[in-house]
Amino acid sequence: MLTYKFDWAIVTSGKYFDWIVSGFYVTIKLSMVSIALSFLLGLIIAIMRMSHLRPVRWFAHGYLEFFRNTPLLVQIFFWYFGSYKVLPAVANDWLVKQDFEFAAAVIALTIYTSAFIAEDIRSGVRSIPKEQMEAARSSGFSYIRSMQYIILPQAVRLTIPPLINQFLNLMKNSSLAMTIGVAELMYQARQVESYTFKGFEAFSAATLVYLALSFTITGLMTLYDKKVLQPLKGR
Amino acid sequence: MARRIGLFVLALAMVGAMCGAALAGDTLADVKKSGVLVAGVKDSLPPFGSVDPNTKEFVGYDIDFVKYIAKKLGVKVEYKPVSSANRMPMLMEGRIDLIAATMTKNPERAKQIDFSYTYFLTGQKFLTKKGAVKSLKDLEGQKIGTAKGSTSEQNVKKAVPSATVLSFDDYPQGVLAVQQGKVIAVTTDESILAGQLGKLEKNPATKGKFEIPDIAISDEPYGIGMRKGDTNWVKFVNDTILEMEKNGEAAKIFTKWFGPDSDSPIARGSFTITADKRGTE
Amino acid sequence: MIGGLDFSVVSDNLSYFFIGRYPKGPLGGVGLTLYLAVVSLALSFIGGLVLGLMSVSRNRLLRFGSSTVIQTIRGMPLLMVIFWMFFLLPAMLGSGMTASWTIIVALTLFTSAYMSEIVRAGIVGIPKGQTEAAISTGLSHGQAMFYIILPQALRNMIPSFVNQFVSMIKDTSLAFIVGVTELTQIATQINNRTMLYPTEIFIFIAVIYFVICFAFTELSRWLERRLAYRKAI
Repeated sequence: MLTYKFDWAIVTSGKYFDWIVSGFYVTIKLSMVSIALSFLLGLIIAIMRMSHLRPVRWFAHGYLEFFRNTPLLVQIFFWYFGSYKVLPAVANDWLVKQDFEFAAAVIALTIYTSAFIAEDIRSGVRSIPKEQMEAARSSGFSYIRSMQYIILPQAVRLTIPPLINQFLNLMKNSSLAMTIGVAELMYQARQVESYTFKGFEAFSAATLVYLALSFTITGLMTLYDKKVLQPLKGR
Repeated sequence: MARRIGLFVLALAMVGAMCGAALAGDTLADVKKSGVLVAGVKDSLPPFGSVDPNTKEFVGYDIDFVKYIAKKLGVKVEYKPVSSANRMPMLMEGRIDLIAATMTKNPERAKQIDFSYTYFLTGQKFLTKKGAVKSLKDLEGQKIGTAKGSTSEQNVKKAVPSATVLSFDDYPQGVLAVQQGKVIAVTTDESILAGQLGKLEKNPATKGKFEIPDIAISDEPYGIGMRKGDTNWVKFVNDTILEMEKNGEAAKIFTKWFGPDSDSPIARGSFTITADKRGTE
Repeated sequence: MIGGLDFSVVSDNLSYFFIGRYPKGPLGGVGLTLYLAVVSLALSFIGGLVLGLMSVSRNRLLRFGSSTVIQTIRGMPLLMVIFWMFFLLPAMLGSGMTASWTIIVALTLFTSAYMSEIVRAGIVGIPKGQTEAAISTGLSHGQAMFYIILPQALRNMIPSFVNQFVSMIKDTSLAFIVGVTELTQIATQINNRTMLYPTEIFIFIAVIYFVICFAFTELSRWLERRLAYRKAI
């Protein structure tokens, strides 16, 4: 019988602690950059999905269905290992000079998440009464302007809770970036494990960090709901 | 929320306490009894271990050693694909009976598991685009690919501290990254690189574009990994591979996978399997 | 640019993509992906039902227990759950677990937490009056739940279950990380061997996943419409 000896010190101070902390920073950075880009892309796709031009609408619909129905891991592999054959040479050269692992993870996470966000925004827009658009149009606003000034600001406010939820998913999904060598939290936890064979301690530390992040995000959502949405509804 | 986290920590601690025990029985007796030897091997790393696309069978240098051991025991073999990162946990958890997966012997690992005598000896080198790397200096400040949890990863960090080391799930992904210019070199044991270079040479699109410059950063003795304290099993495996050296089987297997006519020719040099303790002290 | 792609690597390995080493070895590829997803979903249904019923229970301890489990699992990446299972199960249960079953346990645990929310929402969605009416006819609280509320709630949940199946199929790709030879692992194996066709290989498996997942997404939408229609009449 072997006995497993706990050694919590390795993850509470020293070199391995620093690894976990640096992993935490990369996870945060990856999630922040990707959520910002996902929101922009999701907004564009949502607007295209509601366009009057049929080909534009179809493109957006195809985009949504395809990227929502394929595993994120496969998309990450595609962007990291497979994209060089379909991207123009200039784009490839540029990307390779950047931090390509990080970039590929951001691209994959952004495209995947934007497909979900676009649907959230669309249902947000749909919940705004049609009359508002008609009123805006009849008072002289163009379609784009009425969207911009009247419909979207309201829709976005309603879309914030599902958006926060997507941010939570994205933060968790970012752990898959470890497969292409992005040194985020999960990657570092595994590094600590393979250097020290102290998997239990390493995974516990990473788990606690993930839970702390998740609970913070969920807390924000509850707060937003209480402070912003409930008063709005009550009005 | 604090209460919830507290509860979670408590649950973790309880599970941890249950984890206390790991198994180290008598594998030799167990394998004889069950009639099956479960071997942890690489599944896409020729010439050591890979699945032949036509027959769908496992083949390679490591595989031939496992086959010989199983034949001597008179049992069947079940192959379990392992990666550099998960092979030790899988052994220690009892999912596999031995590791024959290009595993370098080193003192840290020898604290956790037992190794057989060295059954293959190689050194850590780099695979790069032709002319890209002439000395270690050319690697400074560059990105270098390798595999997670491998000794290669730890060696290269020591040899070229200024380089950024990217760890993939296995070496071929690193080679792919070299091909696409995402890293300047992929580093691991020469024997593995030779297999990868052989593959690149066979393809007209990549033929003549890559090389393994003569820069070695370490010695890499491979051993078959077994659970710590599994004395009978270790002795049996050691006796078997010494026998393979004596009856010429080991040299035959080497020539089959690394000889001049193979896809990854390297020299065996003066290496023979002996009762050595290389790498474990 | 698609013209430059060479899909012969796909046709050369087609049977390997779909069934792995079967019949010479264990089932792999698409076959294993579907097997993992179906078994895990069936088990998650049970897990989700138990956790969901606990979360609407009148017993505070049960409610607290289930919500702790649910919140904890939902706060973790699936990958973390997989690593934990790989680490803990053998220590607790000995060496009898295969990698496939470890993945099934991890997927089940993870998905049960999400399923329980569907179950909960389904139960809460049935008007309270029904429970009261059932109890006034002499049924116990438990009987009312099992004979009156749950059957209706479950019917309403069917589309969400199908949706969960789609997530499950996507999630099985993570089994790659622990070396289970499902579709993604097979793809990396072939990619590692052939080296030159990552684009073709990953596009191909993306399309396979898409075809399967999209079919079930559409099924879920159709079920939802049918359910809405039945409610309307």
